[in-house]
Formats: sequence, C-alpha cells, structure tokens
Amino acid sequence: MAETILKLDKVTKVYGNGTVANRDINIEFKKGEIHSIVGENGAGKSTLMKIIFGIEAPSSGVVTYKGEEVHFASSMDAIEAGIGMVHQHFMLIPSYSVVDNIILGMEPKNGIFINTKQAVKVCQELSDKYNFEVDVTQKVAELSVGKRQKVEILKTLYRNAELIILDEPTSVLTPQETEQLFEQLKSFTEQGKTIIFISHKLEEVKQISNRITVMRNGVSKGTYNNEDLTMAQLTNLIVGRDVETDYEVYKKHPDFNKEYALKVENLTLKHASRNILDNVSFGVRKGEILGIAGVEGNGQIDLVKCITGLQEVEYSGKIEINGVDTTGMNVRQRRNSGMAYIPEDRMNDGIAGDLPISDNMIATYYDREDVNGKITMNLKAIDKISDELIEQFSVKTGSNKTKINALSGGNIQKVVVAREYNTHSNLMIAEQPTHGIDIGSAEFVHHQLIEMANNGAGILLVSADLNEVMNLSDHIIVMFDGKIAGYFDKAKEVSDQELGLYMLGVKHQTEEEIRGAL
Amino acid sequence: MAKKPKTNRFSITNEKFYNFIKLTIAILLGLALAFVVLCFVSKDPVNAFVTILTGPLKKPRYMGVVIEKFVPFLFSGLCCCLLFKCGFFNLGGEGIFIASGLLMSVFACNEQLAIAGVHPAICILVAAVSGGLLMLIPAFFKAKYGANELVLSLMLNSAYLGLGTYIIKYHFLTTTTSLIASPDYQPTARIGFLSGQFFQDYHISITFFLGILATFLVWFVLYRTKLGYQIRLVGTNPKFADYAGINSFSLAMKTNFIAGALCGIGSAIQLLTQFNYFNWTGVNSPGIGFSGALMAMIGQSNPIGTFFASFFIKYLEQGTTVLYYSDTSVPSEIVAIIEGVIVLLVSSTYFLRRLREKKLLKEGLQSEYRNDREAK
Repeated sequence: MAETILKLDKVTKVYGNGTVANRDINIEFKKGEIHSIVGENGAGKSTLMKIIFGIEAPSSGVVTYKGEEVHFASSMDAIEAGIGMVHQHFMLIPSYSVVDNIILGMEPKNGIFINTKQAVKVCQELSDKYNFEVDVTQKVAELSVGKRQKVEILKTLYRNAELIILDEPTSVLTPQETEQLFEQLKSFTEQGKTIIFISHKLEEVKQISNRITVMRNGVSKGTYNNEDLTMAQLTNLIVGRDVETDYEVYKKHPDFNKEYALKVENLTLKHASRNILDNVSFGVRKGEILGIAGVEGNGQIDLVKCITGLQEVEYSGKIEINGVDTTGMNVRQRRNSGMAYIPEDRMNDGIAGDLPISDNMIATYYDREDVNGKITMNLKAIDKISDELIEQFSVKTGSNKTKINALSGGNIQKVVVAREYNTHSNLMIAEQPTHGIDIGSAEFVHHQLIEMANNGAGILLVSADLNEVMNLSDHIIVMFDGKIAGYFDKAKEVSDQELGLYMLGVKHQTEEEIRGAL
Repeated sequence: MAKKPKTNRFSITNEKFYNFIKLTIAILLGLALAFVVLCFVSKDPVNAFVTILTGPLKKPRYMGVVIEKFVPFLFSGLCCCLLFKCGFFNLGGEGIFIASGLLMSVFACNEQLAIAGVHPAICILVAAVSGGLLMLIPAFFKAKYGANELVLSLMLNSAYLGLGTYIIKYHFLTTTTSLIASPDYQPTARIGFLSGQFFQDYHISITFFLGILATFLVWFVLYRTKLGYQIRLVGTNPKFADYAGINSFSLAMKTNFIAGALCGIGSAIQLLTQFNYFNWTGVNSPGIGFSGALMAMIGQSNPIGTFFASFFIKYLEQGTTVLYYSDTSVPSEIVAIIEGVIVLLVSSTYFLRRLREKKLLKEGLQSEYRNDREAK
C-alpha cells in the first residue's frame, strides 16, 4: 500500500451566508495515484479543493499533509508545501510570454535582474521533458486553450508540485486534447506525483482514475477503487437516481412556416484590427433550437453581445429579431422586439444579488403594464407573479423576499430562467444555461427550453458543453476563430468526434455548406 | 414547495435584525468611547456624560435648537441616501450648499420679490433647481465618460467655495458690517416659526414638516415607484441593469438632479431659518454637505434611518453645547468621536460577522441534519 500524502479528517466548511459546502469530509490521498473527486456541480468539490489549496480555511476539521497537520493561510503556503492547482478558469496573463507566466513570483535572479536566459532554458527543458510541445517564448494570447492549460500545468511543475489538483480540466478541451492530457497525467504518476482530478464527466473519470471519491450535497459518499464500480453504480451514487439525456421524445417540432425568430446576416465585428466575428450568417426559426458549439473564446460571447445589444464596439451586418431590423437599437428596444436572454455569467449579469427574489423576478419587464399601477409599482402583482414563478420553476426558498444571493447556483439560475420565460418572447438566447449548476436543476432548465420551443419560441443555445448542445439542439453550428466552421442541419446525425475536429479548426466546411445555416 | 423553513425574526441570522443589532452596538460603543474621553478631560465625567445625553431635554429652547438645525442636515442626508442607493459616491452636496445658498441669497435680498409668503417659496425653488443642475456636472462625466464622481465633486466643492467668496467680496458685499458677507435678506424672505406657543417654544417652522414630507417622498420613490426600482437595481448591480435594458445614463441624470435639489432645498432652509445673510466660512456651517454622507451611512442608506440618524447626531451636538454652559473643559468635538465610531462600525463588513457566521454554521448544520432525518 502506498503511503498517504494528504489526509482530510472531518473537514467542514460553512460559508458566510449559511451554505454548508462541505460536511465531515474524510478522504485519504495516496502517493502516486490519480484520485478523482466526482459529483454534481454544487456538490462541494470546488470548495474542498480550495481548502486543500489554502484559498479557503475549513470551518472545522484537520488537514494532514505528509504526516503533518497543516493550516495554509493562503495558496502561497500550499504552493511552498508542494501542492499545485490548475484552475478551471486559467490564471494567466495573456500579454506575457509563456516563460514570464511560468516564472511569475519565482523568478530565477541574476543580482536584482531576472535571469531571462536561465528562465527560458529551465522552462523549455520542463516542457520537453513531458512532451508538452509548447514554445515557451510565445505569448500566451497566441496559444490555443489546450496549450494554455499546458502552461498552467507547467506552472505547477516549475514550482515542484508533488500533488496537482486539476479542477474540471477537460471542460474546455476538445475530445482530442483530452486524450493527450490523460497521457501526460499518467506519466506524472509514474514519477511519483499525485493527481487530484475533479470532474463531472464520468466517462473520463472511469477512464483515468485509480480511485474515486463521490460527493453529493457537500457530503462524501465514500471512496472506491475504480475497478469496483460500474458506470451505473457511479451515476447512482452521484445523483441518487437515473438521469435521462435523450430529450428527443419531448420535442413537438411545431411548424411556424419556417419563420425566423432571429436572423443574422454578414455579421462582422472588428476590434484592434482583428476580426472577432467574421461574416457570420445564420438564422433561428420559431419552434427550433439552434446550438452553437465551440471552444470558449472563438467569438461566441461577442456574437451574443451583438445580438442582445450589449456590444459596445460597432459591428457591421444585419440582425433581425422577429422580423425587426435591430440596427441602432439598445437593449430595451431589442427586448421589446421579443428577445429574452439567459446570460452566461448569472452572478454578475443575471441578478442583483442584494435585492430580494421578487425584485429580480421582474427586472427585465419592470415597465410592463401588469406590474405597474398609475404611480406606484403594483407590489401585489409583483408578489403574485414571483410566487407563481417560484412555484412553477420549483425554486427552493422560504419567501420571495429572500435575498437572491442566499440561494444556491441552481436555484438562482431557475429564477433567471423563470424571469426570461415570463417575458413570453419569441426569441430566447440561452448562453451556457446550465453552467455550474446541479444536474437536477440542469435537467429542469433543459426541459423548460424545450417547452419554450414547443410553444413556438426560437432558441439560440450557446454552450461550451458539447453534450448539452448535442442533446438539445435541432441544428448545430460550430464556431472557430470568429467564423462558422461548420453547420449541421441534423444535430442527431453528427458525432462528438466529428464536432471536435471542427472545434479545433482541423476541418472546415465550404461556403456552400455553411450557407445552409441561414 | 411543501414546507417553508422556519426563520426566527429575532435571530442574528436574520439580515434585518443583524443590521439593527450592529447599529445598536455601534452606538453603544461610540457612547462608551465618548465616556472614556470624558474621563480624561472632565472633572465630573459622569455628570458630563448625563448632560450630553439629557441636556437638550432640560428646556424647550434647547430642543428647539436641535429641531432647527436638524432640518437642513436631514436634507443633506437624504441627498446622499438617494445617491448611495444609485451607486453614486458623489459628495457634491457641500458645494451645492455653498453655490445654491449664495444664488438663493441674491433672490432673498431682492426687494421686488418681497411678497410675504411667496418670497421664501421662490428662494427655495431657486435653490432646488440650481442644486439639481449643479449636481448634474459630476454625474454627467461619471455616466458618460466613467470619470470618478468623488474626485470631481470634491474639486467642484473647492471651486464653488472660491468662486462664492470672490462673488461676495467684489459684487455682493454687505455695507453695514465689516464681515465678508452678503447684505441682509429681506424680512419677507425669512422663514419664521409657526404661531402658537408650542411651535414657538420648539422652534418649529413649516420646514420641519417639509423635512418629514421629503423623508417620506424619498422613501416612497425608492421603494414604491418604477424610478426607485431602477435606482436600486442600478445601485446594486449596474451590469445587471444594463442587461435588463435600463438606460443608466438618463437614470443617473434624474437621480442626481433630485439629490442635488434636495441639497439645494436644505441650503435654502438653513439660511432662511437660521441666518440673516450669507457668510459661508464664518457663520453658516461648512461641512454640512459632507455630514449628509455620514448620516446616510449611519442610516444605512434608508431615508427613515437617515432621518433618525440626523436627529440623533444633532441632539448629541446640542447636548455638548448645553454641557459647555456648565463645564467648559469638554470640547464640542466629542460628538465627532461618537459619530466617527458609529460610522466606522456600521460600515464595517467584519464587525460582528464572526458571531453571525458561528450562528449560521450551527443553524446550517441543524437544518442539514433535519433534512437528512426527513429524507429517511
């Protein structure tokens, strides 16, 4: 039996708003293993990792590292002790070179100057040693997402990490890049390094782990050897029931004479002489779900901003919402043309955290007649609408006067979806609608989107989660480098491997094929 | 949802009750510190302390001074209250007290307007409109170009003070005294106390009721109207307001205009009730515009809270004044100590947080266990 490198004993974490993120967690991590922590979003995996990495202090419990009890005051302490973490959202400075990013904070010195030559040499050696194929003198901004992740891993290696935590490392990778990452992780363990692998993608976990710890609702449901668990058992442990992924049976495919809810023509967005969006054309018809797949940062965010009117930079091209040309229109005018929008960053864009749920429930239609009286707002109507929506969207809360901050991510998202649903718009833009929420809520949101499509809304689904796009969409567009790389008229007839090739920019459709999107 | 989780209103985990406890403890600590200071400076600290707390109650006239001084103070507080709610840290109130006050003084000295009853109304209107317009300057640059409204408003305050002094010195100087002050106001412009013994005793003029009305109106606008809804939304999360399609520029203009108008009214009321001429640095009280921000903070940006905060501080100030009649060793700045401690503690996010978190931890775990049991 290998020695224990890290041990958690009765670790509990309660956040300031009363959320119990972790309760009485006991886990032992063995040296040289790949240990996966699985669980739904919101099960407490990330918090647990923050505790190990010194970002959060546990409310109670003991963390033992290499046989000694530790109290990391910050991540600096953890790094010094030999723990490295690759965050889900990269912590890199795009305008710096790879070397600068790697050595930042631990620069090899030559007197008072940074010894650049030495730094480049060390970093390149490190990269070559593990076959990372990264040119360390390049700027991070010029690297692909997959390469950037390698830089993150190099950062931990440079700091001599023996225990490396990877938080959802594959969520931004294409299937091909994921394969490569796994090869490298295996080679790390051969050299005695320990990997903690956080994920909610079970196939991957089964493929790579030695042992698996399952978390649910902030509690550990036990640690298992990989070979002792079947896929079905694992799913059951995580969710507590079976999960469906085939939504096709719920779809009604209503016929609206192929009317457009959204029509985008020749949309081009230039910023700093770079084409962020390059001649993008597509249409979303009423009653249909159009999925946009792509690795994050290939223009999807800007595309949505252009459509919703939040884009500050001028774009060229034409966007029609429900047949209305939106040129020069602000957000309010576009919403009034029948547009609803579920934003990606719900905490910053989608809610006013310090205000009660009721205030958040009406925010995008606060000027509508049914919530306003002659002089005052109609508080009774607002109450009633809020309560009805809370009921209908099964938001877990004591009252509609609760500050929305106090809800869990899944419930906050339900409020956002409920509000946008209640605008009764014919165009729904759903941007990462289930990002970071629990499986139960995600399923619920998916059903709501399908329901809206069944009722005649056109839905534009933008998501980095390939499974989500494939399960929900009628048609799929893949974006790469600000362009449409591929259009698939029948979403069910394309494989994830195939989509992966388009996402990576390996394959490109012809102009002719892409024109089918409109 | 089947069951609603039970929440105890009088538990520290309840947000409103927590804020209330925080405020109470902050006030007590402020008073305690004041007492400590009194022990050093006064021969009879206990008596001094009691006098500060009860002094104004001794004579109606004392209380009258509190009420008289409190009203303009309140307007300044309401102005900041509105601004804070909208996410503006605009301290232009001080400058408006000067500039609008001076402009109003020109009207108050004007003989042609000397019609009883109408004259003060005209003066207040002039101050309100000019105050609103002046407040738009920093607001415009903030909303349009993202300039820092705090820096801008502070700079403007200095500019108004300099400009005001220049105007008085060279174009609007009194001829009757050697002060650097405006000529005396027309008697018709002054706002007197309401007739009746009670009103006379307690120095209550129509402005006192204006103050109450303004407090109610600010509360009403903030919590009952569409405008207030937008203000709170923008103040809580401007990005969300953008997303929801609120035109934050026009909203900023509206809010700042109303806030500036409140300050202008405050300035007019102060001058027309308490003074006979304009002399900012000497007799009229500099700093009142800034104090408004403190009152809004103590009142936790709630107009009604601001109302009581303003009254409380003016009451304490009068208490020290009364104390001064018998014990000259205690400086009037003692109130500033109390004020400072309260503001510091009330605005501190960390104060009492540990206690609350511990309680939350306990409650959180309990409800978790309860859920578990129910699940079984």
